[in-house]
Amino acid sequence: MKKMTLEICSGTTCYMLGANNLLNIENEMPSELRGLAEVRALPCMGLCNDKELSGAPYVKLNGKVIEKATPEKIYDAMRALIEE
Amino acid sequence: MGSQLFVEMESFQLTKTGQAACGDDIQYKVLKDENRYLAVLSDGLGSGVKAHVLANMTTTMALRYLQSNMDTLQSVETIMDSLPVCELRKISYSTFSMIDIRLGGITKIIEMGNPQYIQLRGTEEVQPLKHETIVSKYWPDRQVECYELKLEPGDRLIVCSDGVTQSGLGEGPQYRFGWRRCGEMEYAQERISRNPSISSYTLARSIAYKAYGISQNICKDDISCMVIYMRKPRVMRILTGPPYHKEHDNIFASHADLGEDHTIICGGTTANILERIVDRKVQIDLTKLKLSDKLPPAGRLPGVALVTEGILTLTRVCKALENNESVEDLPTAARKIIEMMLEHDKIEFVVGTKVNEAHQDPNLPQDLELRRGVIRRMCAALNQNFRKETEITFF
Repeated sequence: MKKMTLEICSGTTCYMLGANNLLNIENEMPSELRGLAEVRALPCMGLCNDKELSGAPYVKLNGKVIEKATPEKIYDAMRALIEE
Repeated sequence: MGSQLFVEMESFQLTKTGQAACGDDIQYKVLKDENRYLAVLSDGLGSGVKAHVLANMTTTMALRYLQSNMDTLQSVETIMDSLPVCELRKISYSTFSMIDIRLGGITKIIEMGNPQYIQLRGTEEVQPLKHETIVSKYWPDRQVECYELKLEPGDRLIVCSDGVTQSGLGEGPQYRFGWRRCGEMEYAQERISRNPSISSYTLARSIAYKAYGISQNICKDDISCMVIYMRKPRVMRILTGPPYHKEHDNIFASHADLGEDHTIICGGTTANILERIVDRKVQIDLTKLKLSDKLPPAGRLPGVALVTEGILTLTRVCKALENNESVEDLPTAARKIIEMMLEHDKIEFVVGTKVNEAHQDPNLPQDLELRRGVIRRMCAALNQNFRKETEITFF
């Protein structure tokens, strides 16, 4: 399976609303998910002013936005991709 | 600024192990109208808070007497008469080095009890034009060494407390008499030959840590080193934005001195603007992430020295500059910005004034100040505490 791409926004709003707890996610993933995603931090995705979205922090998994991201939401999204 | 000579005066201090305060003190004063640069390093008797008070009284008085061109002997005697007497040793005492640089003229150095200064032109030691020893009739055991010298562009003066020259005292045959002035000079010459443009701060820090290493990583005395470097000014830029009008993005970004590594980008949106210009992506190395940092990690973009988050990082930098915090203890991104500021003489801020609406969200766990206010405070701290020139351009 091709490696997934997990992009974490480390801009001001995302960082303050929880991205600070996501930046080390590569080392904290459950063992079955570890090594399956290439994790990158981005300076700002520019999503915090998008009124259509529900709130920061934002991450993108294979380009798809996860709003109010938490480690659990990210793991679930990764598992869903594996099952596809 | 262009061809003007810049006098870079920086220092680094390590406190005696186990003491809460450094018993040495260093103060500077720039008299722009007279083209004079004054500096005093004093080592108070003993160590800790009591020594610091003695040293601080000495530097404060000495600086004032230098500024008012008071007679050397009278200055020294007044300082000695004014210091409080130590209950334990029944004497009042501090050693000091007073430096009075007149650009284009004669530089005077007055030393009492401190290790002799070092003047280096490149890596060559330069001897003073004149040297005399004077003795006070009221304090006959205190010799005052007075030097006159000529400083040329590229010259460095190194002044330190005896915590540097006596480091390692008794640590084996090599240091029977400590590192000594000759050891300190050889080390400085070696550092300069490896990096001829080494900044005053880096050289002072390097000498202080070398002395610390020689003493087996224990400060048996307070260690202070001051370096004064006569050189062409170094200019750096900090771009933080974005501009109020989007159509100004390109001209705003053109202020980044791409390729020279003298530019820092602070802010995610500012980074995005620069990414478009250089057609490359910011790389943030998460393998070097420090979880204790409490600031977003810094990244790299070809052509600029550093890319950081904006307002949180700038606010932290501002607080550290205002409070003279030690850079060693700062989060990585803030530490890197301040280290670069210390390496430069003039800091130009290119500031976009657009407010990010998301930053006004009341749900954010802390208040975010407006960028221009933080930058103004930062400039004041850089001027007052670090003798840096600053300039702000708003977009």
